[in-house]
Amino acid sequence: MAPAPIPYHQVRDDLWRPLKGASKRYTLTLALLSAVALWGLIAWGYQIRVGIGVAGIRRPVFWGFYLVDFVFWIGISHAGTLISAILRLTDADWRKPVTRAAEAITVFALMIGGLFPLIHLGRVWLFYWLFPYPNSRLLWPNFRSPLMWDVTAISTYLTGSVIFLYLPLIPDVAQLAEHARGWRLRLYKVLALGWTGSDREWHALERAMKLMAGIILAVAVSVHSVVAWDFAMAIAPMWHSTIFAPYFVVGAIFSGLAGLIVALTIVRKTMRLESYLTPHHFGNLAKLLLLMSLLWLYFTFAEHLTVWYGNEPKEMSVFGARVSGRFSPEFWAMVVVNFVVPFVLLGIRRLRSIRTAAIASIGVLAGMWLERYLIIVPTLSMPRLSAAWGRYSPSWVEISITLATFAAMAALYLVFAKIFPIVSVWEFEPHTQEEE
Amino acid sequence: MSLYLAGTFRTKEAAVQAIRELRASGYGPGDLTVFSDEPAEFPRGVLDRPSHMSLAVVLGAVVFFVLVVAFVYFTQYNYKLVTGGMPIFSFWPAGVVFFEMTMLGAILMAFGWFIWESGLLRRDKSVPVPAIEPELICLRVRCAAEQFETIAAALENAGARNVGKLA
Amino acid sequence: MSEQTQHRWGMAIDLDRCTGCQACVAACHAENNLAVSDPASAAKGRAVHWIRVDRYYEGEFPDVRVKYRPVLCQQCDEAPCEPVCPVYATYHNDEGLNVQVYNRCVGTRYCGNNCPYSVRFFNWFDPVWAEPLPLQHNPDVSIREGGVMEKCTFCVQRISRAKDDARADGRPLQDGDVQPACVQSCPAEAMVFGDLNDPESKVSQWAKSGRSTKLLEELGTKPKVFYLERAR
Repeated sequence: MAPAPIPYHQVRDDLWRPLKGASKRYTLTLALLSAVALWGLIAWGYQIRVGIGVAGIRRPVFWGFYLVDFVFWIGISHAGTLISAILRLTDADWRKPVTRAAEAITVFALMIGGLFPLIHLGRVWLFYWLFPYPNSRLLWPNFRSPLMWDVTAISTYLTGSVIFLYLPLIPDVAQLAEHARGWRLRLYKVLALGWTGSDREWHALERAMKLMAGIILAVAVSVHSVVAWDFAMAIAPMWHSTIFAPYFVVGAIFSGLAGLIVALTIVRKTMRLESYLTPHHFGNLAKLLLLMSLLWLYFTFAEHLTVWYGNEPKEMSVFGARVSGRFSPEFWAMVVVNFVVPFVLLGIRRLRSIRTAAIASIGVLAGMWLERYLIIVPTLSMPRLSAAWGRYSPSWVEISITLATFAAMAALYLVFAKIFPIVSVWEFEPHTQEEE
Repeated sequence: MSLYLAGTFRTKEAAVQAIRELRASGYGPGDLTVFSDEPAEFPRGVLDRPSHMSLAVVLGAVVFFVLVVAFVYFTQYNYKLVTGGMPIFSFWPAGVVFFEMTMLGAILMAFGWFIWESGLLRRDKSVPVPAIEPELICLRVRCAAEQFETIAAALENAGARNVGKLA
Repeated sequence: MSEQTQHRWGMAIDLDRCTGCQACVAACHAENNLAVSDPASAAKGRAVHWIRVDRYYEGEFPDVRVKYRPVLCQQCDEAPCEPVCPVYATYHNDEGLNVQVYNRCVGTRYCGNNCPYSVRFFNWFDPVWAEPLPLQHNPDVSIREGGVMEKCTFCVQRISRAKDDARADGRPLQDGDVQPACVQSCPAEAMVFGDLNDPESKVSQWAKSGRSTKLLEELGTKPKVFYLERAR
């Protein structure tokens, strides 16, 4: 299966090399991304100062781009959970070089996604009222609200993901600490917690990782179900559907996988990790992506067939707008990039390669963003009383903030890859002590 | 007066052999520690370290569950506000919150128990630690000063290199 | 206090009398300090009308029929907007009103999405009135700042005022003492408001009529606005 094992010192050199220094290309890219992210921050500040009306949202489309972005980024965060947790639990060894890259995506995507419940608030300076704390008004939050479920779910998932990312990082930073200087030395020493590599430490780590994998899997499924229930619990036409929870979970894993493939393609090229992130890995990830694409198609079809066959008038207005009306360009574009392109590029063995996997993944990212848009906006545009129908178009503020989150994600990832090895060193090396 | 000596092994089998011999001579898991740069997976019975982590995690989860249900119950009854004709407290609408907080209890306990069980933060700084050699397994033995020669010889017999006292 | 019985406020609108003149809309604006919008923001869906007159056309010219329906907050007994607010900014009080607490609202706007009648409105900015409109403001009603949800309150300030006046006079509240601005201003006398717990009140009588219907009744929201229309 694997080619001749790479000697250990080479492994360490290769995986540690990106941590040293910063090329001009790196600095320039980071500066550009930071500028875009900063612009988004300025747009948000402007929105807070002038009023949320600077965004394009309106009655009846009370939720627009910000909620689309929210669901999108929380969906991307399922990358790490799939790869790390599921594959860890099934002892799929091929996942090992890929886990940290995936877990890092999870943490950053959650941090970014978790900003949107703040960004979309009308009075964001009072956001802390969503947290339970004793106050002079004797008021507590309403735990019945799906938005409160969001708060608890995302907090839990973020805590768990940070721990899940951190735990397997400890042995690596302990090794890094032995060879570092300056601020890196201080950072690694603190994070290493005095790791010595004793068998007691290893056993505890592996046991904790196994338990965390199971827990984080359960939490991840619940998180995206909860996000889905923000919509499904409402009685708006085409929202109140029982399929939403599993539909969103599948969609999240789908988009997360696509995000991971894109990130790994870039990492592989720019950090020259061709021997570590091999075509074998991309082949497996591509097959998984194809599988998720088929699953996504199945859920989408089931949802739409049910609505169409039921022929309930209020739902059919929304359905018609999506499939053949105002939103049909976006709808069919979504079907093409979510299903047709991956099916062709990844289903035909001759066409499947790292490059086509990356192309398909970029398409899937766009397609899944469109899917969230098509779930939120058409339904809200066409409420039950047709006198209240409206149209939504985003403003520059929403577009800026959306683009800024992509830039911020890339920037955070770049910084992370400079401080920590993106491929886990201790997990990578072929175990000399156990059979393959 | 106990001191520490260590030897490095190339293969897992040699290390297992040495550990078995030392355990037969009466040294227990408290005296023996294996250092490596990747998890040392020995067969059962060689150097088992019993763990209560799973139980602790379940307990953490249960404790958080009880706490959060009580919290939601008491806060919702503290200031009774009717919404949607629903009862003041009902289990299932807040069920997601209960689930998440239960999982949070499990997560925090898993991490906390890991820190505890690994002995990371409470390591006795006076006990010497060998440097981790890549692809090698280092066995550290705590023994009485008088036993030093015998242990050193046993280690070398099993195939250890660089056998010596740890500073 | 002991003489005060529990009220349950309700409204009845006779659609066969309604002419669609929108006097109720104007009165509501005046009474409740509603923000004024310009054509641009109205086109953008930013206009606020706590009560609005929905117009539906049926048929082709010259056999066109126009139907008017004033739609306001139905004060549902099982309001879908209430459970979804994460901070309890909207809840049901013991007089059956769906209460919107402006200074608790953080502006998630979930309630607006879940209202099937689309009667909830959001303050996208701090409202601004061109002079001399601020002189016309009702001092009994607070000005809502940007970021806060609002909707028809059944003129709760008039309800409170009437209850206070009745208590000061030492008499119980009578039917007709409380008149929201829309009810008061309707020239066709198509609207009545009162206590549904009082079987003698006009609204109770109208609600029991054979022409009494509820809007979107099949959703189970239990609205307290009764629309009287000829059975078709």
